[in-house]
Amino acid sequence: MKKNTASKGIFSFIKDCLLWNLSGPISYQIYLCILVCLMMAGIYGYVVQFKLGLSATNMSNIVSWGFYISNFTFLVGVAAAAVMLILPSYIFKDKDLYKVAIIGEGVAVGALVMCMTFVFVDLGRPLQFWHLTPVIGQLNFPSSLLSWDIIVLNGYLALNALVPAYILYCHYKGKEPVGKFYKPFIVLSIGWAVAIHMVTAFLYQGLPARPFWNNPLMGPRFLASAFAAGPAIISLVLHVVNSTTDFKIENKIFNKLRIIIVSAAVINLLMLFSEIFKEFYFPTHHSQSATYLFFGLQGHDSLVPWIWTAISINFIGTMILAFNPFRERQIILFPALILLIVGIWIEKGIGLIVPGLIPSPMGEVTSYAPSNVELLITLGILGLGMFVVTMLLKPALIIEKEYEDSHKH
Amino acid sequence: MKNPKFKESLFYIIPFYVLSFCALSGLLILFSASAAFSSDMTMTLKVKKAIAKLDKTTQVEAIIPLPKDIVKATMDYQGGRFFTEERKSKITRFKCTSCHNNKDISINNAGKISHDDIKIVHGDKEGPLSCNTCHYENDRDFLVTSKGSKIDMDHVYDMCGQCHFRQKKDWIGGAHGKRITYWAGERVVKNCTSCHNPHSPLFKKRWPKTYSLPLK
Amino acid sequence: MDSDKKKKMNRRTFLKGAASTAIAASAAVTVGCEGKGLLGSSEAFALEFQEYFKKYYRVMTPVERQETVTRLEKLARIKQDITVNIDTTNPGKNVLYGYAFNVTRCEGYMECIQACVKENNLDRKSNTQYIQIFEMEPGQMTPDQGDSKFFHMVPQDGHFYMGVQCFHCENPPCVRACPTKATWKEDDGIVVVDYDWCIGCRYCMAACPYMGRRFNWNQPEVPKDEITKNQHYLGNRKRVKGMMEKCTFCIQRTRKGKLTACAEACPTGARVFGNLLDPDSEIRFVLENKKVYRLKEDLGTEPKFWYFID
Repeated sequence: MKKNTASKGIFSFIKDCLLWNLSGPISYQIYLCILVCLMMAGIYGYVVQFKLGLSATNMSNIVSWGFYISNFTFLVGVAAAAVMLILPSYIFKDKDLYKVAIIGEGVAVGALVMCMTFVFVDLGRPLQFWHLTPVIGQLNFPSSLLSWDIIVLNGYLALNALVPAYILYCHYKGKEPVGKFYKPFIVLSIGWAVAIHMVTAFLYQGLPARPFWNNPLMGPRFLASAFAAGPAIISLVLHVVNSTTDFKIENKIFNKLRIIIVSAAVINLLMLFSEIFKEFYFPTHHSQSATYLFFGLQGHDSLVPWIWTAISINFIGTMILAFNPFRERQIILFPALILLIVGIWIEKGIGLIVPGLIPSPMGEVTSYAPSNVELLITLGILGLGMFVVTMLLKPALIIEKEYEDSHKH
Repeated sequence: MKNPKFKESLFYIIPFYVLSFCALSGLLILFSASAAFSSDMTMTLKVKKAIAKLDKTTQVEAIIPLPKDIVKATMDYQGGRFFTEERKSKITRFKCTSCHNNKDISINNAGKISHDDIKIVHGDKEGPLSCNTCHYENDRDFLVTSKGSKIDMDHVYDMCGQCHFRQKKDWIGGAHGKRITYWAGERVVKNCTSCHNPHSPLFKKRWPKTYSLPLK
Repeated sequence: MDSDKKKKMNRRTFLKGAASTAIAASAAVTVGCEGKGLLGSSEAFALEFQEYFKKYYRVMTPVERQETVTRLEKLARIKQDITVNIDTTNPGKNVLYGYAFNVTRCEGYMECIQACVKENNLDRKSNTQYIQIFEMEPGQMTPDQGDSKFFHMVPQDGHFYMGVQCFHCENPPCVRACPTKATWKEDDGIVVVDYDWCIGCRYCMAACPYMGRRFNWNQPEVPKDEITKNQHYLGNRKRVKGMMEKCTFCIQRTRKGKLTACAEACPTGARVFGNLLDPDSEIRFVLENKKVYRLKEDLGTEPKFWYFID
């Protein structure tokens, strides 16, 4: 069964990866079918949006950014969170987390692909994206934070895709990857991960027109919530991997992740408290956005139940994970992880973007809820992200398992 | 796995990366700060310093035509001479002296042509102005000031400006009234009576021409 | 046994792959055909193809600018059956446009909005308006405390009126925000948008503190007989869905020496427009003799739109 290592090359690597991706038990095939169906639904939604223009969404001149950018914001955090696996593995030489670092990078790539797709579908004229390239178009660097965001996101995608690809290719050939080729890039990606999320936060933080966003705590708050939600998602993925493949993951890995998640989640709650204090201790006209979010403004209160639910489940999830009532059975912490992820998704997604834009700079208040087209496209992009993660992780786990087995002998 | 050389190189890589990131962000901040502060000084200073008179004909390339129905104002504004809309051709019953003379007139059309349709809503609470406050009794083609000087109907601003002297000063300077069509070229402005009915000068209440969505 | 299972898997996966490819291909073909159908004639398609690849306006040579204007005028004739005249007049020398708004004189008539919509070929379907008129109560200063959605006889007793639009800041946050430099400040102070260069990310809209910018959420519709045919490339020419647009101080009029449509339409003379660098202009008279203020001055955007009271 095993090929002669000398005859393995890049083409057989690609061919084997494709075959591994397409083969599996019936449950796996059904899972892939569901993902393809989601993506098809997304494509249909996008065709409708492309024909009608962005009026197919519920965005308006007041709420000019909506569901797409909310999800983009959340997912950049998830992508940045891969650093929470890389940092212990490579700098602190943690052997357990080193084993699952590659899964973290796979999730990061999936999240990044979703981010870029969300930006793409949010553009009014996506076919003109080439206007952004530096030589043939115009890139407003360094003035525009969006230009910074494009550069750092693409760079991070390259780092997180190419480095694991190199490592996997070496493992596939049965060789040890050469340290000096990839380790500097790993170190670079640690700082770069922090950079992508700070830059995304600066996108909002740098706008004096939006007082809800224009505070210095946005950047650190983004990092805290990212390092809570991201490793939580990676934890969930690890649970799935543990139960569906023969790549076994020990409890202590989940415990280490849990500690990272809880530390970040507690810092996130502390920062949330600081923001709430600033907005509500002495409310000014600048606090109207926060009032809209938490209590409703002029009869518009569609986000109020969402934010209170989000904060409650965020708090409950953090408490459960912190006190860890079921020490050895990590699977029971599943719901707590989901609560935390959903809480942060609401609070950092729709609970950040929409209130920042309401009321408008001229005081108008309106409501926003995603339209059916937006929901369809979002589902499609979710399917795409899960598809990318599956496509990356399935061969990666097989290669890693074979490499581990062959090196045990 | 442990590469001693890598550990050494970390000492160079990490500080280099941190320094370059700090340098880039520092540049960004300095750039933005300089941009913000420089333009703050630029516009206000630039406008204050622009005291040199500009040639009225070179500010735009297009040729600005002078309308036909205008008269030169009796005074200058800060930029020299200016023009205003003439009035007499727009008054339907001008010349007034075709009726208001010492000759006999027939009373057939008196009802139609008398000024019974004019209601005077001009003056203070005690009572409106009378016709003879503004119209010259001895020569109905002209207006008269309180001091008794004749004012041509085209130069009604000298009349109105007696009481409305603040508006007149603003009108000469440009804070009251409106230019006609062009901001460049010779200055041609609307006359008092171009916008205000002299017998009822206040603007009336009306419905807005349009509305903004969403309506309440 | 192992290889048999593997063969079954491979066949199944091949069929699944083929099916999904077929679906994707048919979707692409449908979209492509429909797209072609929308374009009408092949001459229009050829012109639009060339327009897609054209350069950024600021790096175009005058010849290239003339070429794109010719293409756009031809497209207007083919697709809309109208003759338009798009010019590319450059800013005048020693010109910096300024605007003053007399809060005492505005009566809420909204004639400025009507004139602006007509002059700038704004979308009638979504009721796009560059100008907003606010009905304010005594004691209020900023328009965010006012009501811009009124529709009753004006002026209402006990209220005053003021209008806002793009203030053409000297330090515009929207220009800094744009990732493709599709919006910039011209030498005569007008902040313009190169519509075809805009990718529609709407970051400028988030950055503007005055609600000065509008986005085309749908394909704009202007009745054919109401289209203003004297257009400027950076002004009131035909825009399509997905582009940003904004008040351009009627660039197609002001660069020819005319007043903006709003200033000309105002029946009470509440709007004063002119050249800030001309010491004899009305706008300079207002700035030097009246008590003027600007909105959100603490943000440092340096708007060139002042308010004053008589």
